[in-house]
Amino acid sequence: MTVRNSPVAEVARRIWRSASIPLGSVLLALLIGAILLLISGASPLEAYRALFRGSFGDARAIGRTLEKATPLVFSGLAVAFAFKAGLFNIGAQGQLIFGAVTAAAIGFMIEGLPPLVHAPLALLGGALAGALFGAIPGMLKTYTGAHEVITTIMLNYVAINFTDYLANGPLKDPTPGNIVARTPAIEASARIPALGSIPIGFIIALAVAAATWWLLWHTTIGYEIRTVGLNPAAARYAGMRVSLTIILTMALSGLMAGMGGAVETLGIVGRFQPGFNVGLGFDGITIALLGKTHPLGVIPAALLVGAMRAGSSQMQFDANVATEIIDVILAIILFFVAAETIMRWILRTRAVSEEKVTLSTGWGQQ
Amino acid sequence: MRKLFTLVTFALLFALLLAACGGQEEEPGATTNGEEPIVGETAEAEPEVDEEPTEEPMEEEPAAGDCASDDVFCVGLVTDVGQIDDRSFNQSAWEGVQQTQEELDAQIDFVETANATDYAANIDLFAGSGYDVIVTVGFALGEATIQAAAQYPEIDFIGVDQFVGPEGPEGWEGDWPPANLSGLIFPEDQSGFLAGALAGMMTESNTIAAVLGTDLVPPVVAFKEGYEGGARYVNEDIEIISTYHPGGLDQAFTDPGWGADTARQALDQGADVVFGAGGNTGNGALGEVANHEGAYCIGVDTDQWETVPAAQPCLITSAMKLITPGVFDLVSASRDGNFPAGNYVGEVGLAPFHDFEDDVPQEVKDRLEEIRVGLESGEVETGYNPGG
Repeated sequence: MTVRNSPVAEVARRIWRSASIPLGSVLLALLIGAILLLISGASPLEAYRALFRGSFGDARAIGRTLEKATPLVFSGLAVAFAFKAGLFNIGAQGQLIFGAVTAAAIGFMIEGLPPLVHAPLALLGGALAGALFGAIPGMLKTYTGAHEVITTIMLNYVAINFTDYLANGPLKDPTPGNIVARTPAIEASARIPALGSIPIGFIIALAVAAATWWLLWHTTIGYEIRTVGLNPAAARYAGMRVSLTIILTMALSGLMAGMGGAVETLGIVGRFQPGFNVGLGFDGITIALLGKTHPLGVIPAALLVGAMRAGSSQMQFDANVATEIIDVILAIILFFVAAETIMRWILRTRAVSEEKVTLSTGWGQQ
Repeated sequence: MRKLFTLVTFALLFALLLAACGGQEEEPGATTNGEEPIVGETAEAEPEVDEEPTEEPMEEEPAAGDCASDDVFCVGLVTDVGQIDDRSFNQSAWEGVQQTQEELDAQIDFVETANATDYAANIDLFAGSGYDVIVTVGFALGEATIQAAAQYPEIDFIGVDQFVGPEGPEGWEGDWPPANLSGLIFPEDQSGFLAGALAGMMTESNTIAAVLGTDLVPPVVAFKEGYEGGARYVNEDIEIISTYHPGGLDQAFTDPGWGADTARQALDQGADVVFGAGGNTGNGALGEVANHEGAYCIGVDTDQWETVPAAQPCLITSAMKLITPGVFDLVSASRDGNFPAGNYVGEVGLAPFHDFEDDVPQEVKDRLEEIRVGLESGEVETGYNPGG
């Protein structure tokens, strides 16, 4: 009896209750995936073994998984953070791209800086660009009531087309013989390297996630943000500045997304080229939901998706599995994690008491 | 306890399912060892990619292990972001590789790229397995291909649509261009020029149109500039309505709805020949024109008569770039030991007129032939001057 009620057992119980759903979802999805693989004529054993090899098989594979997970952590953080204030930031893609192109510009336009100055400068530049771009829908919502779902989607188009124009025009790589729309390569001093096979960008992502967690639950501002998210009217009644909070949240959300784009540019791509950041911002929505919109939950979610993507090429090569199957398995995982009720019914688990998260407030509400 | 029990059941079921299955796969060109049920996961040792013990009871991988040996000729292909059966680029290149399997007895395999950041890793899959020739499809893989060529000097790399510039990238060591890198490029502007000339001669309303992917893709720009040049060459005051897709790279080639709408707008403005040059977006335009009487449509890249049957009612020709023979020729050259480093210019041309053979007057055909000869000799210039 004593063991059952000990604090360790209590912690274990709490972890079990939160983690059992995602775990069960993953297992169930892999099971269904195995059936699909069988139907398509491939061997599930070969396929999953190849998937594991490609994502965790050796140091290089782990490096690739972390590389893929890094931008996902940032965009997941951006969206999750916005959710905490009751805002749906679909504009992470646009903010990310602005961050990416700004970092690339600082990276290639400035020469002769020592690496310890150049890389952080480019990183901050990208973060700032994302923050400014993210503040726009925040201000529009505050001063005109325009719903951020609409404005962020529209601004995505603005960002994509504007950066495409930059890459094909003013910032185009003038190397003789180059006809591709892209910026010149960034200076070596602006690159963010890896420690062995661990990309430093991933470490930065972890730090930002921790900082976000601390901000939300251990500062006054964080408290205001969460209150506005739960009940803006109550927040206003309590004297909190709701408008400022909304703008600040969107700006910070944009900052995280922009930083993700910057890290991707400085660490992986080495320049800005349209087509190289596709979908990362929208993945953030998936990651945020998978991670229950918690800044720390975003990390395992990003690792999961990153691992699947890193391993998918190996799956194709070793086991001749079509990429579509991998996409389906991933989608099934997301489906089961998001459809918590089904999983809870299957596992007869009681829900952990957690804050309800508002995914989207109504129109015209302030 | 109940939840634990359920979860454990799942896990066991899962392991059982995995363990019980194997030996199902049929690979064309690879032999299967017959199926033997595997008992538990411990029955086989972990196979290395580089060796394949012949007693292996698992399903046969496409003999990837043999590629390291000298007498097996292996050709791999890495697609651009997209599918292998996209009825366009990736597919044309793959068909060239498939031809090498038939005629050169090569062992072939491909990997579809899901994300641009995977290019290098996907190339490594083949390079690390001892492949002899690796084909990378699309200009976006240019950088990754160059790096791989430096890393693996014994492997020949064919970059489809990858222009090898006069200088190597910064920090390049060694010869430029490297002996194992060949850029298969095409004078798309010439292909477009011929298409434009045909359009210019066949139009009755003196208005023609082009529905294009995005100007971020150099070959598309080349096709468009050539098309306009060719039309103006035969018909100085022709009116041309050219429209690029307004979206980004991830949308521009997969938006048939926009293609159809844009084609309809052009038709409404009086165009009676529409050039669809933008993957699936262009295909949408072709389909829309097919529903209108009295207008022609022109396809792109390959002879779309077969690949887009919905367009047959209007498809007078296609502005082709012959990727398939180009890839085949280069792989053969590698096999024969005279791999041409640097840029290798492939052939372009107009597809046959099919059902419209009789609609095209003989003088038009003669003029086209004249222009074609002129383009080849350099007498006729398309006016397209990219980069540099």
